[in-house]
Amino acid sequence: MSRTAKILSIAFIALWALIALAPSVLAPGDPLAVNPAEAFQAPGTTHFFGTDESGRDIYTRVIHGARDSLAIGLAATALGMGLAIVLGTVAALSPRWLDEIILRVLEALYAIPSLLMALLIIAFTGPGVGPAIVAVGLSTAPGYARLVRSQIRTLKSSEMLEAATVLGRGTWLRVRNHLVPNALKPLLALVTLGIGQAVIWAAALSFLGLGTPPPAPEWGAMLSAGRTYLHLAWWMSLFPGLAIVFVAAGATLIGRALGGKARTT
Amino acid sequence: MNGQALITARNLSVSFGSTVAVKNVSFTVRAGSCLALVGESGSGKSVTARSLLGLSGGTATADALEVCGQDALSLSERSWQQIRGSSVSMILQDALMALDPLRPVGREIGDALKAHGKLPRAERQQRVIQVLESVRMPEPERRARQRSTELSGGMRQRALIAQALAGNPQVVIADEATTALDSALTALVLAQLRELKEQGRGVLMISHDLAQVAHLADDIAVMRQGEIVEAGVAAQILGNPQHEYTRQLLRAVPSGVPRFVPLSAASRPLAAPMQKDPAPASSALSANGLSKSFGKHAAVESASFEVPRGKTLGIVGESGSGKTTTARMVLGLQPPDAGTVELLGERFAPAHEPQRRKLREQMGAIYQNPLGSFDPRYSVGQLLADALSRGKSKRAAEYRVPVTELLEQVELSLGLLDRNPRELSGGQRQRLAIARALAPKPSVLVLDEPVSALDASIQATVLDLLDRIQVETGTSYLFISHDLSVIEHMSDNVAVMHQGKIIEQGATAQVFAAPQQEYTKLLLSAMPRLR
Repeated sequence: MSRTAKILSIAFIALWALIALAPSVLAPGDPLAVNPAEAFQAPGTTHFFGTDESGRDIYTRVIHGARDSLAIGLAATALGMGLAIVLGTVAALSPRWLDEIILRVLEALYAIPSLLMALLIIAFTGPGVGPAIVAVGLSTAPGYARLVRSQIRTLKSSEMLEAATVLGRGTWLRVRNHLVPNALKPLLALVTLGIGQAVIWAAALSFLGLGTPPPAPEWGAMLSAGRTYLHLAWWMSLFPGLAIVFVAAGATLIGRALGGKARTT
Repeated sequence: MNGQALITARNLSVSFGSTVAVKNVSFTVRAGSCLALVGESGSGKSVTARSLLGLSGGTATADALEVCGQDALSLSERSWQQIRGSSVSMILQDALMALDPLRPVGREIGDALKAHGKLPRAERQQRVIQVLESVRMPEPERRARQRSTELSGGMRQRALIAQALAGNPQVVIADEATTALDSALTALVLAQLRELKEQGRGVLMISHDLAQVAHLADDIAVMRQGEIVEAGVAAQILGNPQHEYTRQLLRAVPSGVPRFVPLSAASRPLAAPMQKDPAPASSALSANGLSKSFGKHAAVESASFEVPRGKTLGIVGESGSGKTTTARMVLGLQPPDAGTVELLGERFAPAHEPQRRKLREQMGAIYQNPLGSFDPRYSVGQLLADALSRGKSKRAAEYRVPVTELLEQVELSLGLLDRNPRELSGGQRQRLAIARALAPKPSVLVLDEPVSALDASIQATVLDLLDRIQVETGTSYLFISHDLSVIEHMSDNVAVMHQGKIIEQGATAQVFAAPQQEYTKLLLSAMPRLR
């Protein structure tokens, strides 16, 4: 990564961390405060992003909504990646028959479109933040797992690990010092890319009414609420939409930059 | 007519952008004689050769460049095409890559003729058979119909030469044409080149190996960093070199140099090897009846050998002879189907890994490509700290003294501590690998083709280093190589492997002077010698 890219990435992450952890610093108002007298105000000096049908301030809601949207994205990616590391590692290190079974299961999961699988899971559990995390996490796991598996397979038979064996390193030291760090390094870029993707999916589920329930300020839910009034108050959908684009694009760009670094090393 | 100048280059320079790859080189290739351009990687020898075919890819300028009677400086791409193959042609390095695996070799050879469009189809086929006969291809009619994958290595090599000869060129360029080949094929290619010379063609041989060109070249030009540093009649260059660099290259050729005599002037002189203490006569490492098969293919069959303490056993053989499988069994990386390995009198293989882990510190390994054996995240200092701490720490600062000692032992600068091995040169990487292997103070080092990827002068310094370490520490070496001259210089005893079996072993001087087996004789006769 170039110096500029590094600074931009850190600034980007710091900004969103601040927004998610302390939204009141940037938006002191109450995201749920209803004021029918001020409904459908266009963006202006009092309401930067305008107001919605109940007179709630869109700006305040977008800022306060970051926590839920990002939390779902992060938690879902963590869940998916954690599952993938376990499955991928087990598959890569286990005897052939077990490897084959895990692979077939992963392929079957892979064949189902991710969003469809998420819908399926929510059909069982009912909508909510928790189910949305599980749904998005589970549906991203197979892709990651296959990657982890091939990564570890390559490393397992590498000269580097043979050299460690010859130097007398036991299994635990080989795994801890060489296998895990080298397998995880390229995954870092992938995780960053995945967070952007997961934020979009979480928003998509909320948009369909399957994620965070209203009136909580969640970007996907806000997008959905604004849809009804699109001809009247375009700002209701535009600003939460922009927030999603901003986070997803930023995460993707950081992921790309990290990935580029991993390729050259 | 013999002696006639076919290619004349005067002050030829080739540049790529602002980089000058070849600087003011002048030479002449004459009919019926062979000029060898000798130099190490990056010396500009291949670029020079390619510019004679209009293929340098850079900008070529010269006071004069005449190729077979034509002024090559003003040639259009079209006229170059006329010259390539019919006036000047090139024997390529890798037969497996250069021949299309999906087409019969006869057609591949015929294509060269078709491009020049002179002959009708029937005559073309006749010419193909004729060329194949001229390179002594057995059953040329049948071979012409086969694909390159159906041919043996030797036949493929002949087909490749036939392809270069199809257009009856006056000059043949052989760019490292023997580099990747084992000894039998090398001998074949050299014999073919000699024949071309006798037919009155001009041969331009490009090589990094002085010993190899010694028997074929009439004239030699030594290149370094894009310039010819010394040129002249072969006997003169080899017998009485004037330039320091030529002397360095000649000195670096290991064959015929006794053990512990430095190959590089830069190497520290050695203390006399320890001839004393004949007491521990027991062997450091011994293998008894090692065998390994992969499916039906027997990679190694009943290999037995001993490495005495403080001595070197060289294992020599061509690719696929089972050398590396043997090394892997010795290192406990592959369990043998039968047989045992004993290290310092204790059972090492087959054994359970936890039981022999302690013993592993007594045996280190050096590979051909050291970079692959380093964790890419570690710096030089971290690698050594990791080795010294047995994997517990990679903080070089904690092991400052022993890390410094190791670096000094392998003659690496302390300034390299924080570098990543990727940033080091090939020779430096191999020194680092040696330093790491020495960290646990092993009794035995297994070296699998440790210098095969290095240039001659670098190879010389690494071999000198290994010699010095053996003298100073008394470490025993199991030295595996396909290179007879390296083995001759480095080994006290030698074992010759062929098709998975050790067919001959004994004291190096004895095996090299009076080989008993037919195969060993064949190998040795193909070995290029300077001394």
